[in-house]
Amino acid sequence: MAQTSYSTNVGDGNKYSGNIIDKVSVSVSNTFNTADDAQILYWLSPLEPRNRHQDVRTNRSEGVGDWLLETGEFREWRGGEGGADMAVLFCSGNPGVGKTYLR
Amino acid sequence: MRDGILGKKRIPLTVRNTSSLVIDSLGDQEGEENMAVAAFYCDFLSQQEQTVNNIVGAILKQLVGRGEIPQGLRETFEKAKKVVGGRGPLLADLMGMLRTAIASLPRVFICIDALDECLPKCLPELLQSLKDIVQQSPSTRILLTGRPHVKEDIERSFAKMVVIPISPSPDDIRNYVEMRLDRDPEPLAMTDDLRADIVRIILEKISDMCVEPFRISTPLVMYTYQRFRVDSSLFHST
Repeated sequence: MAQTSYSTNVGDGNKYSGNIIDKVSVSVSNTFNTADDAQILYWLSPLEPRNRHQDVRTNRSEGVGDWLLETGEFREWRGGEGGADMAVLFCSGNPGVGKTYLR
Repeated sequence: MRDGILGKKRIPLTVRNTSSLVIDSLGDQEGEENMAVAAFYCDFLSQQEQTVNNIVGAILKQLVGRGEIPQGLRETFEKAKKVVGGRGPLLADLMGMLRTAIASLPRVFICIDALDECLPKCLPELLQSLKDIVQQSPSTRILLTGRPHVKEDIERSFAKMVVIPISPSPDDIRNYVEMRLDRDPEPLAMTDDLRADIVRIILEKISDMCVEPFRISTPLVMYTYQRFRVDSSLFHST
């Protein structure tokens, strides 16, 4: 059975990022059966941003940032009335607290 | 209020957790409003893996991974598999599939965190890809977070955008300074007056934005100041 192997070389830094799972090799069977969904999704990208999201959200506490969600700018962006001209919301800042704050 | 309480720890909103906040707030309404949210977290430590293809692919897979794999994607995959050794998806393929996926959804939100941590050589292509998405599907909403300087890069692709500066509030800063003072390794050197002065001066100096010439020969204060080098755009934005 012919097999095609898609693998990704994962650098050391990734263990901190959560964006990617550890070194993974997905074997794609090149026979009559169709590839399963997980193989196709892995082929699209080996990165798993949802894992990182789970990490980051635990650093947030209830109610924090509600002021942001209530600003007119945010509501306007979220509402989508501005079309393509108002498609981008940029939240800018210097990360100075974040994780450090929790130690 | 700009801060919240978790047990005894008060954690301010920072640019580091802004995108997760927005993603969760959008996600809460995902079911009822029939919209889709895709997120990506850029990271200095993963720059080599975070190519434009991998980022766009990761966004695409969040949009298609929720239901049946579209037939077009399956066919593209089968075709790529036949190439000797197999090959990864081309950006043009990914963008085409992304366009189809977005068109099939009522509303799509794409959130990219810490854009300034994206590999500099990838950033223009990533932004161009986002611009293409918006041009094809003008209802798409894109949230970007990052250090203030990345605004110039975004502006090259998006002349207009909504900007919200994220910075600790005076209460956040006061809480933080007081927490650091409580942990001062030399408590005997501290008096109530000195303590009050440190808190007052740091708050004054930060709100005056005269932080650069700010020098007090107390290592702790310098350390605290370093932690709160605030974003000048907050105070000078129009």
